[in-house]
Amino acid sequence: MGKKKSRPVEEVDGSPNMSPMIDCCFLLLIFFVVNATAMTVAKDASISMPSAVSCSDLEDANGCIVVNVYADTDKMPQKAADKYLQTYKRSDVVWGVSDGESTKGFSQDEAQLLTDFITKQKEFYKGKNLEDKDIRIYLRGDVATPWERTAAAIRCAAAAGVSNMVFGTLPAR
Amino acid sequence: MSRHKSRETEEQKDPEMEISSMIDCCFLLLIYFLVATSLVSEKKLDVSIPGAPTNGGAPPPVEPGRIHVASNGSITWNDDMPVGDVYDAGIKPGTEAFRSQRNLPQLVEVLKTLKEQAVAVDTEPIVMVNGDPSTPHQRIVDVMAALAEADIHTVGLNTTASE
Repeated sequence: MGKKKSRPVEEVDGSPNMSPMIDCCFLLLIFFVVNATAMTVAKDASISMPSAVSCSDLEDANGCIVVNVYADTDKMPQKAADKYLQTYKRSDVVWGVSDGESTKGFSQDEAQLLTDFITKQKEFYKGKNLEDKDIRIYLRGDVATPWERTAAAIRCAAAAGVSNMVFGTLPAR
Repeated sequence: MSRHKSRETEEQKDPEMEISSMIDCCFLLLIYFLVATSLVSEKKLDVSIPGAPTNGGAPPPVEPGRIHVASNGSITWNDDMPVGDVYDAGIKPGTEAFRSQRNLPQLVEVLKTLKEQAVAVDTEPIVMVNGDPSTPHQRIVDVMAALAEADIHTVGLNTTASE
């Protein structure tokens, strides 16, 4: 008599509510899309990165002009050398750059072309309202790269009016 | 009459969007970016090239430090003080020897002293790094890491002719 009437079980919908899960999923997706910045396009996996003890995280890749500085092909692992030759179709490339559309390689005699490329990229970033201090050269040198190649790339950057350099490293383990 | 019947059956259909394929795509993209961002673990070392002097050509209040990196990787401070041993490219990453080769405690110490001297006269220390043309890039990065540890970011970078 005092017992309440239980609700009919048949009325409860057993299907899970998908909308909050989709919301979370989209939020995570947007987070990772934003984090994986456009700079990853210009990174060449065939470079063996140097290690450093006191390096910091690259928080903002916007304004970074990536310059890959290669070692000689005989000092690269075979797989990396094959990829290098497949990309550039020649073996004298010491600086590799990418503007997001195409990858270009320059030899040591083509320093002026590298300067021109950096100048062009600098103008591109300036057009996006970035200040001079935010435009940096991201140098990705191979561990075995001779210093003269990296130093020449820095001279090209200085000639193009970029004075901020970022050395790409891996944390020393 | 038959027209009315077909309209009734249309109304009975539940107008649901097929979202399972969209969720599949979404998960695939999510996993892709998860993996891609975890693989990209590159770090950075900031360096700024010194510009033209702003004090009218007067000598800087603190004498700039000079680091020389020889082609064999040995490092010298101000031309006479050895602060880093010969670089051995054969040491495998992940070993204790590799980690100890990356550390340059003597160089960090002299750089910190230079930084303190510069801070005392309210200026930024300047360090010139001269490397032989054939010095391996890794050894220059070791020097850059020591500079970052001493909180020095204005660095002149040069190549010197081999002796």
